[in-house]
Amino acid sequence: MSQKIAALTARVNEKAAESAAKWTFEGSVPFVDLSAGAFLGEQAHGDVPHVHRFRLGNGLRLLVLVDRSAPVMSYFTWFRVGSRHEKPGKTGLAHLFEHLMFNESEGVKAGEFDRKLEENGAESNAATWLDWTYYYESLPKDRFALAVKLESNRMAKLVLRDPQIVSEKEVVANERRMRVDDDVEGIANEVLYKTAFTKHPYHWPTIGWMVDIENFTPDDCVAFYKTYYAPNNATIVIAGDVREQDVLERIRDAYGAIPASTIPEEDTAPEPPQLETRKVILKKPTASEKILLGFHGPALGDADHAALSLLSEVLFGGRASRMYRELVTTREVCTDVRGWVSTFRDPGLYEMYFTARAGTTGADVLARVDAELVKVKEEVVTEEELERAKARLELGLVQSLETASGKAEQIGFYDTVLGDPAAAFRRLEAYRRVTSGEMRTAARRYLTLDARTIIHVLPETAAATGQAAE
Amino acid sequence: MSTTPTKSPKKAPRAHASHGTSPRFELPGGAVGFVESSTVVPLVSFALSLRSGALGDPEGKDGLSRLTARMMRRGCKGMTSSEIESAVDRLGGEIGFDVGPSTISLHGQVIRRNLQPFCELIAKVLGTPTFDQEELDRLKRETVAELIDARDNDRALAGLAFRRALFAGHPYSRSASGRAGSVEKLTRDDVLATYKKRFVQSDIVIGFAGAITEDEAKTLGALLVRSVPEGPKVENILPEPTRPAGRRLFFVDKPERTQTQILIGTLGTHARDADHWPLVAATAVFGGTFTSRMMREIRSKRGWSYGTSARLSIERKRHAFTMGAFPAAADCAPCVTLELKLLEDFVTSGITPRELAFIKNYMIRSHAFEIDTAPKRLGQALEAELLDLPADYHTAYLEHVRAVTLESANASVRERLTPGDLVVIVVGTASEILDKVIAAIPGLTEHKVLPFDAD
Repeated sequence: MSQKIAALTARVNEKAAESAAKWTFEGSVPFVDLSAGAFLGEQAHGDVPHVHRFRLGNGLRLLVLVDRSAPVMSYFTWFRVGSRHEKPGKTGLAHLFEHLMFNESEGVKAGEFDRKLEENGAESNAATWLDWTYYYESLPKDRFALAVKLESNRMAKLVLRDPQIVSEKEVVANERRMRVDDDVEGIANEVLYKTAFTKHPYHWPTIGWMVDIENFTPDDCVAFYKTYYAPNNATIVIAGDVREQDVLERIRDAYGAIPASTIPEEDTAPEPPQLETRKVILKKPTASEKILLGFHGPALGDADHAALSLLSEVLFGGRASRMYRELVTTREVCTDVRGWVSTFRDPGLYEMYFTARAGTTGADVLARVDAELVKVKEEVVTEEELERAKARLELGLVQSLETASGKAEQIGFYDTVLGDPAAAFRRLEAYRRVTSGEMRTAARRYLTLDARTIIHVLPETAAATGQAAE
Repeated sequence: MSTTPTKSPKKAPRAHASHGTSPRFELPGGAVGFVESSTVVPLVSFALSLRSGALGDPEGKDGLSRLTARMMRRGCKGMTSSEIESAVDRLGGEIGFDVGPSTISLHGQVIRRNLQPFCELIAKVLGTPTFDQEELDRLKRETVAELIDARDNDRALAGLAFRRALFAGHPYSRSASGRAGSVEKLTRDDVLATYKKRFVQSDIVIGFAGAITEDEAKTLGALLVRSVPEGPKVENILPEPTRPAGRRLFFVDKPERTQTQILIGTLGTHARDADHWPLVAATAVFGGTFTSRMMREIRSKRGWSYGTSARLSIERKRHAFTMGAFPAAADCAPCVTLELKLLEDFVTSGITPRELAFIKNYMIRSHAFEIDTAPKRLGQALEAELLDLPADYHTAYLEHVRAVTLESANASVRERLTPGDLVVIVVGTASEILDKVIAAIPGLTEHKVLPFDAD
């Protein structure tokens, strides 16, 4: 497979004008669960799907997965910039910028970007998080050229005018009200990260503080654009019914002349170890108490991440999990229990979320939670629990790969965070190797009950003790 | 913690797409099956639906269908609730029950290699539920607690108030979840009677999608159908809903809302109406895309709401036309006025030839994404079967859309949507904005303030 694509790359480069940018083929990676012998797409017919990796002269990276299961394609552009690259006082800029990218660019009037895509049957959206930002279009396969044209244009020729920035700031402020200010879980989660991180930029929310959103200027936006929206800070991921040669030629022609920029070296302070419990009480108009816990956890690329993820499945994965069974079913003290090991580039949090039943206090819930956490630090989980956790994670991965956009998102995410477009399958292999002993070690390493962050949400009508944060 | 997308999830026009017909086959006892085979991923999806849902709950027993469905996974012959859940997980599967107005559905997915034992487990769950009294009591307490927690969700509060107001006196006004008061009164006898009446072979529709052949689907479909007893079809008698009269405001009062939820609507069309597709297309122009009139005026020009849309719902009887937005409290009253003005312009002036051409292109070209996976194709086949849609509702989608003319679209808008007869729902803090909202609705005939925690 690699030889064939290398030869194709050489032919595309040879046929190009002398001044045109040239492609470098950087190899192909099987995009399949090799260790299980399972099949994906064309592998059923003996042809293992591969992600082909290329780099253009200006640094633009391209990842291509040919998938002919439906006459559609998905086109993702990942920028290696997220809220971690912001500065205090300018939080939320990466996310506001994501909104502005749907406005005007040279030759494409305000509103025309979406209109052209919709008229051609495409769906588009974007997302920003701590480590990255992506934009995508899903199109009928014969509309590929439109995505290339629109995306390359806004990478190089975005127009940033004051009226649109003012209007979009208002939209983002409304989005913040919806996701955070009027959402009990949203505000509690924001306070969790704000409290658990004191130095690292994971301290502030991706959507930004309201005061920062209100104060952005066009100059802020232009500076951000010039710094981070450049081909050498981007990866295009294409999955779907496409021809490799067509992809290479069109992307080169559209992006080849966009100059690279100087991406500043990241200046991120590592988070100092948390040595004490930090507790915040929030009073909100809600019917029941809620407890959020944050334990400092591993980065996605750390060796412990797989073990801790499996442990989280044992504790929170489905109705047979320990926390669900103990807190929801048996003791009837909670209506909702959830856990998630963050999937960030730098060490994040192992988040736990509990909604108490009316009449049950957060303190009661916390005592029962701690008893379960002590148990997984002292005893190994059973083989049956381990088997279930592995099966659940395998199911989750397979479910995410049903559509072209699902595949493109997985490829782009893992390539952006870990540098491996097929890392989803490497993780699956890692899960299969994890032992119950390794899970207990992970529990002992990360579930430090005397050095965690606790957010306790109280109904406003309840008599609260302690100091309210808001 | 979650990502922050630019656009709120799109509310596409309710009608979807077309494709070849999913193979349909007969199963024992009058049940029917469908299959959509695909080898894209080693996964099999399935749905087992019954042709009656929450509308069949007796008066005063709201929530009974859902409680019965949820009890199915709470114990069966030889297995406790916990053992069922463990077995599902161990097989790399997942299951869930959905109860809608007209259907009860068990749906799930499983990794292909465990398909056979998974179906055997589901057959056992369906066929031998124990309906243990202790489990039932536990589930009732859990359900009541969930209903109380649901008050945290403002959009859900708006939706509930909208259905109750628009369909007042009609079974569509009921919530499948029930109310705390109704759920607490349900008994084991109620649950047993519901199971006996509803879970019968003749009312079952089964669908499989993914890494499964047609022969396998027939064999496993028969296994699942035979797990429940034979019995007569459930009779579903449903009156036609009536269009609301006058402009009525229902204000759901909740403290400290910096953001509000607005729903405005009336009755829409039935899928068998001659003007259904014209109204689907016109509604998409009005509020079905990111560049729709509502999006342009409410979000793009004014920045008032992160998301805004209009949609048509389809059910066995005529259902709702709904406009939605969620502006800041300070923008709520002007946003209501603007939405009403947009609706009046929509009805009075209709859509333009350019708008129609645009939306037809959108609907036709994007149809590939309505059928790009086997589960989506199966979903369309099941929807048509279960809601008694015209046989070609999905399969001739492209033809339906192409046949829409400017005249038919605008006539359908004038015929179906009457700006003087509307239900307006606002979730907000009454002490701060109620007066302004009342003043923002010309010709308001009635208003009521509903405490958000009234149920």
